[in-house]
Amino acid sequence: MSKIYALAVTILLFLLGTRVSADSVHLSGYARNYTGMLLNQNGEYSIVQNSFNLKLEHSRGPVAFKVNPYINQYSDKQLDIGLREAYLDAFFDKMDLRLGKQQIIWGKADGVFITDIISPKNLNEFLLPDFDEIRMGVNALKADYYLGDHTVEFVWIPVFSPTQSPAENSIWYRSPSFPIAPVFDYSSSEVTPSLENSEFFGKFSAITSPIDFELMAGYAWDDDPTMHIQKSINPATQQLSGITLLPQHHRLSIGGGSFSTTVGAFVLRGEGAYYSGKYFLTDNPTAIDGITDKNYLHYLFGVDFNIGDTRISSQFIQQTILDYDEYLKNDEFENTATVLISRTFMRKTLKLDLFSYIGLNNSDALIRPKLTYDFTDGFQFLLGANIFSGIEGRFGQYDDNNMLYFKVKYSF
Amino acid sequence: MIRKIQVVILATLIVLPVLSFAMDKISGQQIIENVYNRQTGNDQQADLTMSLINSRGEQRIRTIRQFTKDFGEMNKKIMFFKSPADVRNTSFMNWSYDDESKDDDQWIYLPTLKKVKRISSDSKNDYFMGSDFTYDDLGDRHPSADKHKLIGSETINGEECTIVESIPNDEEYMYSRTVTWIIKDKWIGLKKDFYDEDEELLKTLHVKKYEEISGYQIILSTEMHNIQKDHRTLMQLSNVIIDTGISDTQFSDRMMKRGL
Repeated sequence: MSKIYALAVTILLFLLGTRVSADSVHLSGYARNYTGMLLNQNGEYSIVQNSFNLKLEHSRGPVAFKVNPYINQYSDKQLDIGLREAYLDAFFDKMDLRLGKQQIIWGKADGVFITDIISPKNLNEFLLPDFDEIRMGVNALKADYYLGDHTVEFVWIPVFSPTQSPAENSIWYRSPSFPIAPVFDYSSSEVTPSLENSEFFGKFSAITSPIDFELMAGYAWDDDPTMHIQKSINPATQQLSGITLLPQHHRLSIGGGSFSTTVGAFVLRGEGAYYSGKYFLTDNPTAIDGITDKNYLHYLFGVDFNIGDTRISSQFIQQTILDYDEYLKNDEFENTATVLISRTFMRKTLKLDLFSYIGLNNSDALIRPKLTYDFTDGFQFLLGANIFSGIEGRFGQYDDNNMLYFKVKYSF
Repeated sequence: MIRKIQVVILATLIVLPVLSFAMDKISGQQIIENVYNRQTGNDQQADLTMSLINSRGEQRIRTIRQFTKDFGEMNKKIMFFKSPADVRNTSFMNWSYDDESKDDDQWIYLPTLKKVKRISSDSKNDYFMGSDFTYDDLGDRHPSADKHKLIGSETINGEECTIVESIPNDEEYMYSRTVTWIIKDKWIGLKKDFYDEDEELLKTLHVKKYEEISGYQIILSTEMHNIQKDHRTLMQLSNVIIDTGISDTQFSDRMMKRGL
């Protein structure tokens, strides 16, 4: 609880301080209730969350800062508090520097992470939260150098942050499938903070009339740990007697790019990346720890257009494992599609969205209809559903987690 | 010599009234071109306040800071949304071209997504931020997009206006016709009626205030009244500053992301 008081006191003192000394500090944010109910027999609540999100921004000539603390309170009295972002900016004639905890988003894809791999993901509630809540801030130094319509960006992340996975008691947790219950050994799961273990990313991008594009490269850690599998055999029976899983992060080298352009009434988008050093689970008996490293490609093509007042956006995504062998547990090609249909009514105060991820390999899907109503400016009601279909695959595995939810949000 | 002078005088007497008549009978096309080409400065920055007023008099306010600059064959505009709170820090950039065959390029920056997205400029019929103005109403519609006809003159609020009817070349256009009252010599559309596909009056635009700023006639306040839905949008410009030499770099994704 001392952490909470410390944060609360800090915010309070800051607010009081800024009231008298810095008129130009801008406060914004929101208070929100988010309640989700599973569509099962008992109608259990999947989430009851009250959130307070505050953004404090101040600029003085060529320098600025932003701090974004948040508090999430859950029905089981758990509190989740933290800083989504906290950074300093320095603006020069042709260069900007940003230092501190920040969300860095790259690429042209919507809801798919291909070159957008700098900020790790918070998957505590799978892919359901808003994207600014899924992406976690990273402590980084970001430098942007501008050459007309072109930008060169460099990012240095001195301390690695992994993807946040759901806890074992979460409805979003899925235990690995093995003949006997595995034991986890987390002794090698952390990447020691050091200069040597830093991550580096570079990007060259442009916004021009005919086309927008980004070219990127990165020397990073895989945000998702590889599960090293160590099996114990009972010498007497020669039967499998135990399985130990050792989550471990490995180095990844990435090169890729993205583009978007307009052709008539259509916006065409593409994004792709080549990953070197990704580990996959394998059944190859000669493989050490049941894993093997393979290079792979991840890319998409998308199109956005309007039919009357309805906006439609669709993407086709493919992951391809190169130098594939039959022992690999993953498919050689994993195909996914996304579809977004969106329309506003009543002077844009009522909005109907239907967003779907469709897993083409396993015929599974996540279908997300959503109705948003602005009762008044900055006060919003949202009613939605998350429908998982299929029995296996990335979305089908959550077939039991179909839910209805509503959110009430006050923005200021 | 005297005979020559007599011929010149006679010719002048004949030609002058004809010229005068021609000046007076300037075509609808020419009037609309003059409105289109009216100079408003090389660059401009201003605060824009939009008040959306429904039939019960309830108001919703949107505030925007906007910058525009003429780059010769193209015009760039960047808008930063300041309120309401849930759209704050959203920005929108538009590059429009003198070349009629070239569509506008448009981008939007959504702070929750933290990236600049290219969007299609196809949705010109869409209403801007829930107001009574479509994106097309807010832009400079090229004179060649319609056939214009001078249909009369009238004095409004002491201003002598010519009245021009414009019928779109594109039969699918959202308005079947528009009628504009244009102040003579100032080339400001003081009033404009918009007729829907059924030839019914849909909306009326009134210029409520214009002022000379830095030598240019600048429209500062307009009201669009949707007659059929009895909904109004009042659009007011304030803190207008013209020709300060806004940097070219102001119209970039860098600034969209940085915000105000």
